[in-house]
Amino acid sequence: MSELMEIEPPFVFESGGFADHTTPLVRDCWYIAGRSGEISRNIISRRLLGVDVALYRTLAGEPIAVRNRCPHRSFPLAKGKLVGDILVCGYHGMQFDPSGHCVNMPSMPIVPTNASVRTFPVVERAPLVWIWMGDPDKADEALVPGTHWLSDPLWKSVTGDFHMQSDYVSMHENLLDQTHFPFLHPGTVGTPEYARSKLNVREEGDVVIIDRALRNSAPPGIYGIPAGIMDKKVDRLSEARFASPAIHTAFAKIIDLAPDAGKQAEYRFNITHLITPETQTSIHYWWFNSRNFKLDDADADQFLSDASTQAYLEDVDALQWILEVVRKDHEKQFDLNFAPDKPALLMRRSLYHRAAAEAGYRL
Amino acid sequence: MKKSLLEVVVKGIRQLTPRVREYLLCSLDASPLPSYAPGSHIELHTVSPESGPIIRHYSLVGGAGLWDDTPDTYRIAVQREDRRRGSAHIHDSFGIGTILRVSVPKNNFPLDRRDTKSLLLAGGIGITPILSMLRSLVRRHRDFELVYAGRAGADLAYCADVQRLAGARGRIHESGSDNHLDLRALLTAQPGGTTVYICGPAAMVDATRREASTLGWVDTRVRSELFIAGPTGDEVPFDVELKASKRRIHVGRDTTILDALAAAGVHALHDCRRGECGLCPMTVLEADGPIQHRDTYLSEEERTSQKTLCICVSRIKGARLLLDA
Repeated sequence: MSELMEIEPPFVFESGGFADHTTPLVRDCWYIAGRSGEISRNIISRRLLGVDVALYRTLAGEPIAVRNRCPHRSFPLAKGKLVGDILVCGYHGMQFDPSGHCVNMPSMPIVPTNASVRTFPVVERAPLVWIWMGDPDKADEALVPGTHWLSDPLWKSVTGDFHMQSDYVSMHENLLDQTHFPFLHPGTVGTPEYARSKLNVREEGDVVIIDRALRNSAPPGIYGIPAGIMDKKVDRLSEARFASPAIHTAFAKIIDLAPDAGKQAEYRFNITHLITPETQTSIHYWWFNSRNFKLDDADADQFLSDASTQAYLEDVDALQWILEVVRKDHEKQFDLNFAPDKPALLMRRSLYHRAAAEAGYRL
Repeated sequence: MKKSLLEVVVKGIRQLTPRVREYLLCSLDASPLPSYAPGSHIELHTVSPESGPIIRHYSLVGGAGLWDDTPDTYRIAVQREDRRRGSAHIHDSFGIGTILRVSVPKNNFPLDRRDTKSLLLAGGIGITPILSMLRSLVRRHRDFELVYAGRAGADLAYCADVQRLAGARGRIHESGSDNHLDLRALLTAQPGGTTVYICGPAAMVDATRREASTLGWVDTRVRSELFIAGPTGDEVPFDVELKASKRRIHVGRDTTILDALAAAGVHALHDCRRGECGLCPMTVLEADGPIQHRDTYLSEEERTSQKTLCICVSRIKGARLLLDA
């Protein structure tokens, strides 16, 4: 019996469940590995969905992701070096080609055929590099979410990132929950009318979409100030989309109801939130705030960068405080849910079903 | 040495051709088994009353059609050999509910997902890893071509699945007794950058490598599974004697020295079980027959010296082997 391996007891899924920070992560999904500019001829490492990954580029510029762990003695391969396209382990010099095949082991007379290192499918859509941490057989590039506005010359983006002690479920919930805006972000995105404006929720497969229209009201600072229309009444049309476990997009269209002579009436903002779990309780988070006006305006860049950073820092603080309470407070609590939580509950249910399906459940 | 065996139960059996049977091996409590990628295989550990412990390698098929097996299932296909060997023991003694031990999946034949085009070549039962690769390529909308060769169509396991999945990009080649597959024409027609994945009889693998080499292809463009440890048919049983402990241990026709020693409680250093890692060679003091070397680790000089052998794959054609252990 001593040869028998212990299999970790599996997470038990039940019908009617909702994901939280204890639910196994959805792995069959394209997640962000990093920004295009971070991945270069200098090997970097990053823990993604609990697995240490080394990232580098071939001489031809192709991004490569391999497990950051030599199959021989677990030396982190990112601490090794690149010789041409060959990754050389820094411990015993084992050499791996970009497909993970071992091509040389200096201390052996032959190249062992069982000594490959796991590689992960990656797809570059500048300025992002996506990675598939799940079943590589399911890594269909057609499933990479569209983010054309991040590279389209008709759009301008400001961007930032955070490393957070929170879980991706709570992060997605925060992004789908717009009733917190006036309270957590009073200076930037929130207005009291917005919190009460009616939202329409719909599901398209695993995607959860919120539509909302707030007519004839003052714009929030984050949109009104860069557009220069803080004194105007606007229609604010917004769509928030839980597009996948890796990405949430928020599109806003601000319509100036009485545009000044010679000025445009419509201002668009596409906000992209990219979330990759590092572990079940920590995440890598990248955000982009993109606009289709004042493309070369440094003041608008600065304002949007500062305002976004402030708002997202408020979210980061809130989510870190929440997870700390949830993990450390010993008296159990089952959080209450209200009507405005519907989009988040649909998202939690979808994440739960996807994780369950990956574990072989048919709920 | 390593805790790497899993207990599984036979949950399904399907006769695919007159000689090939498919087995669904599932975890005992429906918990997920370790995951695997196309090209992976498991070692199946079993004990035959005639031969003793037997370890055979079987590629994981991964599912039926485009449909994936659930994570609690490993799907293998076992071809019954003509002789009364390990596979015959499997066909004869495995039924629904039989509990077996298998290793965690190992992948020595990985599909490079970065290929611009993959040419899949299967010969006979060699279809099992190729089918798994085919499913992966079809699902990911990658460029590929497939040839599935065998003596007669009726003997080709998963033939309908392969034809349906591969569509116009696949073809079945019935070789009969003399209709050989024109490997040169097939390889010549490939665009630069095509990688070939081949699993089938050694002669087919060798011929493919030879043709590719003649055409000036670099070695790494032809990938094949190396089932070194498979039986060749001329194995004989013999006894191993260990000098230090003075023990005498019988090695059955279908058992390796390594496994016979382990079954007798003698745990020798080993890792790969395929004659590559170089951990298991033992010093031979006496042998009353020639050593059949099947490893790739030992040098030509060590091989011809008849003084050492890799106990995981090599054996003797004699009755008695005295080892310095």
